[in-house]
Amino acid sequence: MDLCVFGVDDGYAEAIIRGLRASFLTEAQYQQMKNCASIPELKSFLEETDYQNCLQADNPQIPTSILRQRLKKKLADEFEYIEAQSTGILTKYLFHLRCRFMIDNVVNMIEGLKNKIDIEILLSNIDPLGWFPEIKNIKVLEGDDYSSLYRDVLIDTPIGVYFMKFLEESIENLHENRTLNDIQNLFREMKPEYIRTSLKKMWLEDFYSFCESELMPTSQEALLELLKFEADFKTVQVIYNSIGNRDLNTAAKIITTRKQLCPTIGNLYPDCEKVYLQAMTLDALREAVKGCDNYRDLLKDAPDPLKREEFNVQTKTLDDIMYDDECRRYALSFDGQGSYGVFYAYLKLKEQEIRNIIWLAEMISRKLAKNHPGWKKIIIPFSHLGK
Amino acid sequence: MSFFRSKKMKYYSLVIPRESAWVVMDQLGRLGQLHIIDYDPLLPMMNRPFANYVKRCDDALFKLNGINTLLKQFKKNLIYCNDTQKLLDKFRDIQNLRQKPGHTYFDEIELEIENKKNNIQEMSNNLQNLLDRVDSITEQKLVLEKAKEILGKSIFSQSTPHNVNDYQQLKFGQLIGVIDKEDENRFKRIMFRITKGNAWVNIVDLLPEKQHHQIKNQIDLNRVSQPRCLYVIIYPGMNDQSTMKQKLLKVCDSFCKNRIEYPNSEEAMENRLKDLNNQINETQSLIRMTKKQLEISLDELVREKNGCNCSYFEQLRLYVLKEKYLYINLNYLTMQGSIFTGYFWLPDGLEVLVEDKLRQAIQNNIDRFPTGQIQEMKPKSDILPPTYFNLNEVIIPFQEIVNTYGVPRYQEINPGIFTIITFPFLFGVMFADIAHGFLLLLTGLYVIFWKKQLSKQTDSMFNAMIPFRYILTLMGFFAFYNGLIYNDYLSISLNLFGSCYHPKNEEWERTLNCVYPFGIDPVWLASGSSLNFMNSYKMKLSVILGVTHMLFGILLKGVNNLYFRNYLDFFCEFIPQLLFMASTFGWMDFLIILKWLNVYPDKFDPSIIETMINQVLKPMDETSTPVFLNNASFQLQITQVLTIIAVLSIPWMLLPKPLILGSSQKKHKVSFSEPQYQKLVQERQGSELEIDPQQFRKDLQSAASGKSIEQSEVEHESGEIWVHQMIETIEFVLGGISNTASYLRLWALSLAHGQLAEVFYDMCIAGKLDMGGIVGGLMGGYFYIVFALLTFGVLMMMDVMECFLHALRLHWVEFQSKFYKADGYLFVGFSYNQMLSEHLKL
Repeated sequence: MDLCVFGVDDGYAEAIIRGLRASFLTEAQYQQMKNCASIPELKSFLEETDYQNCLQADNPQIPTSILRQRLKKKLADEFEYIEAQSTGILTKYLFHLRCRFMIDNVVNMIEGLKNKIDIEILLSNIDPLGWFPEIKNIKVLEGDDYSSLYRDVLIDTPIGVYFMKFLEESIENLHENRTLNDIQNLFREMKPEYIRTSLKKMWLEDFYSFCESELMPTSQEALLELLKFEADFKTVQVIYNSIGNRDLNTAAKIITTRKQLCPTIGNLYPDCEKVYLQAMTLDALREAVKGCDNYRDLLKDAPDPLKREEFNVQTKTLDDIMYDDECRRYALSFDGQGSYGVFYAYLKLKEQEIRNIIWLAEMISRKLAKNHPGWKKIIIPFSHLGK
Repeated sequence: MSFFRSKKMKYYSLVIPRESAWVVMDQLGRLGQLHIIDYDPLLPMMNRPFANYVKRCDDALFKLNGINTLLKQFKKNLIYCNDTQKLLDKFRDIQNLRQKPGHTYFDEIELEIENKKNNIQEMSNNLQNLLDRVDSITEQKLVLEKAKEILGKSIFSQSTPHNVNDYQQLKFGQLIGVIDKEDENRFKRIMFRITKGNAWVNIVDLLPEKQHHQIKNQIDLNRVSQPRCLYVIIYPGMNDQSTMKQKLLKVCDSFCKNRIEYPNSEEAMENRLKDLNNQINETQSLIRMTKKQLEISLDELVREKNGCNCSYFEQLRLYVLKEKYLYINLNYLTMQGSIFTGYFWLPDGLEVLVEDKLRQAIQNNIDRFPTGQIQEMKPKSDILPPTYFNLNEVIIPFQEIVNTYGVPRYQEINPGIFTIITFPFLFGVMFADIAHGFLLLLTGLYVIFWKKQLSKQTDSMFNAMIPFRYILTLMGFFAFYNGLIYNDYLSISLNLFGSCYHPKNEEWERTLNCVYPFGIDPVWLASGSSLNFMNSYKMKLSVILGVTHMLFGILLKGVNNLYFRNYLDFFCEFIPQLLFMASTFGWMDFLIILKWLNVYPDKFDPSIIETMINQVLKPMDETSTPVFLNNASFQLQITQVLTIIAVLSIPWMLLPKPLILGSSQKKHKVSFSEPQYQKLVQERQGSELEIDPQQFRKDLQSAASGKSIEQSEVEHESGEIWVHQMIETIEFVLGGISNTASYLRLWALSLAHGQLAEVFYDMCIAGKLDMGGIVGGLMGGYFYIVFALLTFGVLMMMDVMECFLHALRLHWVEFQSKFYKADGYLFVGFSYNQMLSEHLKL
């Protein structure tokens, strides 16, 4: 039924997205990019693609950070246009999508301020997709006083809700007779990365419930599938990264931290929760997720986190493997009809494309040999469909 | 007759030494008759030898574009060039004066553009900065004045506490600054939260003063100035170190940098204001100076220079365009060591001209490098030459009608030449009305004779009609002519020559032996059966026209087959098709005309439809109402023969061609097994780096002599041929019927046109005529206006469009499907003139 009426409100926005499909770089174009010898050459190549207009005014010897910023700006502009063309639920949905970038921005700002980086530099580096007017006011942050930051600035922002939840949860976890000092200690020790993961977890859960309650069945079907995978991806990442982590010395602490950080949605939750929370080696993790989908195959090639010394550029990291699988799912979902999955997939795939370009730009600027395995580490959107 | 068939083309190879590539190409571009073939269309533009130059040209154009926006902002009117040939000659003169290799002129121009752009950019940036400065100073001044109003004088004197006991509450600090209007609410909220409501925040809108607007509107390049607000915060505690002040400062700074120190005393305030006023005045005089300078350098670009008949800016732009065009075409060649090789098509007989140009190239060349060489070659069998017509202004729109459907194959008969008459004629049949046609004719004539004046009025509707003036005139003429034949003047028949009937005893009696000289006797309008009569007449007429049109198309196919010596198609397709068409619908046309010529006794009126149907259903029976007067058996004999011919021609169309092709293919397979040299050469070209140019040239020469090229026969799959022939046959036989029926639109549209005209006339004019008096006069005037508007809007605009489209369809589908292959491609000459005239105006 919802397929019949999908076009009434969302047809135009979807049509734009479908049109933007043509802007993805093709495999042949990636091949040509790999053949570029220098950054100016890469830039002049990109000027012949859809990225033409956003790069034209720049100096040929463009630094990668600016290049990234330009590419992201283009994506943000496109996304903003689509958002402006959307109505009702779709607008809310698209806004939810942007929250993820806002979280990233806020955490990046906090991290930067803690490291005493100049605010202008921080502001010029924020992801345009997650821009919101209050972001420059984060400057107010003093020391580690997150609660006053929340009270003064973030309370009005879209991600204020998540931040509040995060603060409440972290305070609740302290022992009963807490003092003000305890709280301050807690925040001082807290790493920005921890904040990011927990905020994102909350966002993901919130987004999931939004999709579950508000969207039409076709969109739900497509999106919940994607979100479940993303949640599982997050879970696996958390477990994987906490294996052998020196900061978390006791088993009990590992488990509580994991419990806080792992999303409470997805295919793994709640069935496998007990098992994966206990997993202390990679093999145990593999064992824990074997019941689900193709996760076992995915983890088969992942390097062991306990032997970190062996890591180098050659090995595919867990992230690469996961991104690869993600890309396949998003490409499939992009081709699905009449669902909001297409917007999500578009955003993700474009992100992947930007990651690819930046990666290649890095490789080129470092003048690595062409037989270096790093050249193969790009994941081309839609390349999975042809096979 | 280069319009009946496209011009003969010859295939040449072009070899240019690297050193003189620019000179030679420049000369050839002036000639403008070479269709250069892309040597390797798959090679991306980036990897071609001159990609770098193209990119530089693009950059230069980009810079010029930037200057152009400035020119527009300062309302400088450029003089556009209108004679490309003259400009090109000027370019050549400049080159000759320089006494340096020609391609280096672009370097100079590039440098000049770069300098000019930087110069202008710098000045406009300066201007921008100065304006910003004036803005910010004015803003400061405004802020101070407003703040003074808000805070009052008491703020200066508050340092002495009224009461010693509670002095702390009475000491206030203040923060003053500017924020964006859109941040207002957020600012207030955040302030409230930070101070927990313990500060007084006042926000006032700032209205920028009007005086700078005049300059600003002109120059403000890329920013829209946002509305801004002034904020004044008064908070308790004056101590600079208090945490609240620190926090407030931080928040204020995070919103905007524009925080202003408020002076401590009234005197300081006065001084500050005076100072600001001085600054404003200074900056403004600076602004005026910078602006003047900027205008001077912009004017330099607008002026003519070097005797070209256009602005210097245009001269630069067109030169860069020309250069870019040259390099793009040079990129079509391929580099073999130190020479460029490529291929091009040249219209027959122009070889002398090209060689002349090549000789000129060596004369113009400062360093006397060897010039390029051309050599005629046999083209590869799989590429057809381009289609090239010499067009003039009359023909262009008609050729455009044909080309929209498909460009004629090389050397095939160009339907465009017949379209010149048939198209307006078929349009006229549908749009037949004396008055409407005449109006259209007048419009066309007006545009033809007032062309010069109209081409200057760029906003006139007639200006857009200029390219179509001849087609309009012809359409109008034929509509007028057909209107005379149908005798239809805004739905009234004209009694031009005196009717042959006159009323007698409430009956119409015909004058003996009287024939109305031209068109339809107007008396038919008065009879009750006028519609029936006209319908049958128009219907028959349109079928006759249609069948003639299609038979003509089939004949053209025959001519084409003979021209290309395709005898198989001539005997196995053309002849049976012609016979089929002639013996069915041709015969029907003959019957129609015969019936018109004869007078039949009552009750012996033959029905043509019946005759046609009985021809097939009752082939042995003589009809009781023969079309041939009293000669039924003769008619029967003819119909029998024709039916047999028609039926026989169907298998004739279907069977022989695939059979013959199939057998020739078998023979071919047995006899032909030699290696294909042509392919070998191509493979070599693919790996160009590994072979030396000498060897390659030998290959090319042997290829040119035509010994090694074998016609690589397209492999015919016999199954495919059968299917193809079956489709062709079915299409023709069924198409014969449906296309004939399709020509009935000639009748239908003319009926619709006539009926619409009649309705408008009846409703608006005829019905109101009998209402006498002043009221009747006024009403008549009013309804006349309605009538005129309806006639203009519906008949002269919409119906013209409709008839045009239907005439278009009749040509594309019914006529051209009979013979027209339409798989050619257009000749695109490497011509400066053409390229520049396409880019004359921005």
